[in-house]
Amino acid sequence: MGGTVFAPNILGILKGCTPTPGVDWNPVFFSNVQARLVSELAEVILPADEYPGAKDLGVPAFIEKMVTDVYDQANRDRFVEGIESFNSIAKEMYGSDYADSTAEQKFEMAERFNTEALTQQHGERPFFLAIKELTILGYFTSETGATEVIKHLPIPGSYEGCVPYEDIGKVWAE
Amino acid sequence: MNLNLKARRNNSYDAIVVGTGISGGWAAKELTEKGLNTLVLERGRDVKHVEDYPTMWKEPWELPYGNRLTAEELKHYKKQNRTGYTVTQSTKHWWVKDTDQPYEEIKRFDWIRGYHVGGRSITWGRQSYRLSDIDFEANAKEGIAIDWPIRYKDIEKWYDHVESFAGISGQAEGLPQLPDGKFLPPMELNCVEKHVRDSIKKEFNGRVLTIGRAANLTQLHNGRGACRFRDRCIRGCPYGAYFSSNASTLPAAAKTGNMTLRPFSIVNSVIYDEEKEKATGVRVIDANSGEMIEYYANIIFLNASAVNTTLIMLNSISDRFPNGLGNDSGQLGKNMMDHHFRIGANGVYEGFKDKYYIGRRPNGIYIPRYRNIGSDNRDYLRGFGYQGAASRQGWERGVRELAIGSELKGIITDPGNWTMGITAFGECLPYEENRMWLNHDKTDKWGQPTVVFDCEFKENEMKMREDMKNDAAEMLESAGLKNIRTFDDIGGMGIAIHEMGTARMGRDPESSVLNKWNQVHAAPNVFVTDGACMTSAACQNPSLTYMALTARAADYAANELKKGNL
Repeated sequence: MGGTVFAPNILGILKGCTPTPGVDWNPVFFSNVQARLVSELAEVILPADEYPGAKDLGVPAFIEKMVTDVYDQANRDRFVEGIESFNSIAKEMYGSDYADSTAEQKFEMAERFNTEALTQQHGERPFFLAIKELTILGYFTSETGATEVIKHLPIPGSYEGCVPYEDIGKVWAE
Repeated sequence: MNLNLKARRNNSYDAIVVGTGISGGWAAKELTEKGLNTLVLERGRDVKHVEDYPTMWKEPWELPYGNRLTAEELKHYKKQNRTGYTVTQSTKHWWVKDTDQPYEEIKRFDWIRGYHVGGRSITWGRQSYRLSDIDFEANAKEGIAIDWPIRYKDIEKWYDHVESFAGISGQAEGLPQLPDGKFLPPMELNCVEKHVRDSIKKEFNGRVLTIGRAANLTQLHNGRGACRFRDRCIRGCPYGAYFSSNASTLPAAAKTGNMTLRPFSIVNSVIYDEEKEKATGVRVIDANSGEMIEYYANIIFLNASAVNTTLIMLNSISDRFPNGLGNDSGQLGKNMMDHHFRIGANGVYEGFKDKYYIGRRPNGIYIPRYRNIGSDNRDYLRGFGYQGAASRQGWERGVRELAIGSELKGIITDPGNWTMGITAFGECLPYEENRMWLNHDKTDKWGQPTVVFDCEFKENEMKMREDMKNDAAEMLESAGLKNIRTFDDIGGMGIAIHEMGTARMGRDPESSVLNKWNQVHAAPNVFVTDGACMTSAACQNPSLTYMALTARAADYAANELKKGNL
């Protein structure tokens, strides 16, 4: 996925558009504000540290594709409403779009939403869990995520059912 | 007149096989190897081994949408995707579009199928178990439906025959209810599965946990490669390491030079000659041109899958058979069975944190039936077996983690707890009122009648499910698993993709469609050896039995033909 992030931008320039500021792909469904929020929030969920972050692996563009093409209309609407409502709360709390708040503020708000979503007993699936799921899915099914951050064997060759974990050292990609 | 005679000669064969799935592939192989010039008809497109497996090498990042269908695509596969696992980006070419292939359901019926050379032999679960005399005798002993016209001794050598060719890996256990076969070396159980196996052996008298008996090769076999443990069987295997018609039986049939394979050939009906009192051929609709063509042969094997074979027979109307070919008994289309499953338990095992596994094993564990065997006596008839597996939780569990950021990443780049889940596959009794019929008013795009289903699981199955659920929880709990959760989601009949029984074998033409050689009683040169022939369902996965019955019937048919009896 990482390698293809550049391609839509080239197409955008050829078509005479300018790439959307603040994100590294050309959103077709999200508005600029929405795309920036999705980008920043995905990066807060899986940030760059000793390994690449969600943005490095093209996860925000993957999220847009999933929401646009895989989600049905109801879930798509709910996701967009979720982004908007998340951003409104950021504005109330920090006086700016979520994407423009400080790193500490971004983390604080995401952590609060995560805890609330996981302790919520009833009702519709919270927006935060939807974006968290898509972030994790996009990250670990990307080539770099699967092969460099964790372990992947395209052709294992055999099955050994009980080996020392230290011989492997990471979770299998699949 | 001369032209007609010429067409008749050009379209004549010794044998016709309708369908190329598990049983059709076997019919093609056995008949051609016995020297019969055989026409093999498939309603869908051709699928050549290896070259027509478009996704077999795709890595996760090469499949769009995390391997999920788009909302737009899903509209075409609403019923095919009721299983939750069948239709993905990597497998969507193996399933019919419901929008192209409609059917009606009075009660929910999950008819999951693929129309192409190889049929569901490409996508099957590969679990391969023998039936035993406990199964073949059950109907007679309990006064249920009718007696099977065969016993284990009649089919035993044919199980040997098909296992030797197909290649079944597994462990001999010496159980009367699950006869051992000609096994290739078994796959390995992992740490937790071994632990649970030992616990069950100690705590539950007569219960056994064994590795699944799977049509996956654990060593080179008959020119096919050994399993490389990628667990991508459903996409088609580049090594031919699991049994499919495409990798195994059809190449063997082609090698004889006696096979003519004709894809895009929808069989409309069997042609019956009232004077000769036998079938003379089949009417075929060319799926591309819509043209109706007749093909002729001395023997006809119907292997179109239980439902489609029954459709063809019900649609084969003549003065002699106004209610469908061979339907003197009125049983054609009745007694539909499947396995009822999607019930069981799972739990967490807190040990073995320092252990993991290498490779993706395309197989799980099996706990053979133990209920209503020997002195065990329940308030329902028959029994069930379990399938399942233990594994360590992967990165997907991250959604439910309280952490985010680098802490979350740290957690989910390590595997989580060991978990183990088992689901029971239960026997369904044959009920005459569970039936399918044809709707001639609603036709498909080739003008063929569509199928209507009216089937349901009943009281015996529901009572059995109590044990299926509780026993699962009990066995896991006694092995020390924690957070045991039971699940129960029966779905529709058909969801096990083991539909069977709608043209059953029997001793009496008045109560069955087929005799002990799978011959249509009243049209003896027509053989039905797919799931339609089953007199009872047992609880074992049925494909191996279809293979054995097909090889047995083909041997009989070829001999009878030689003797001039057909």
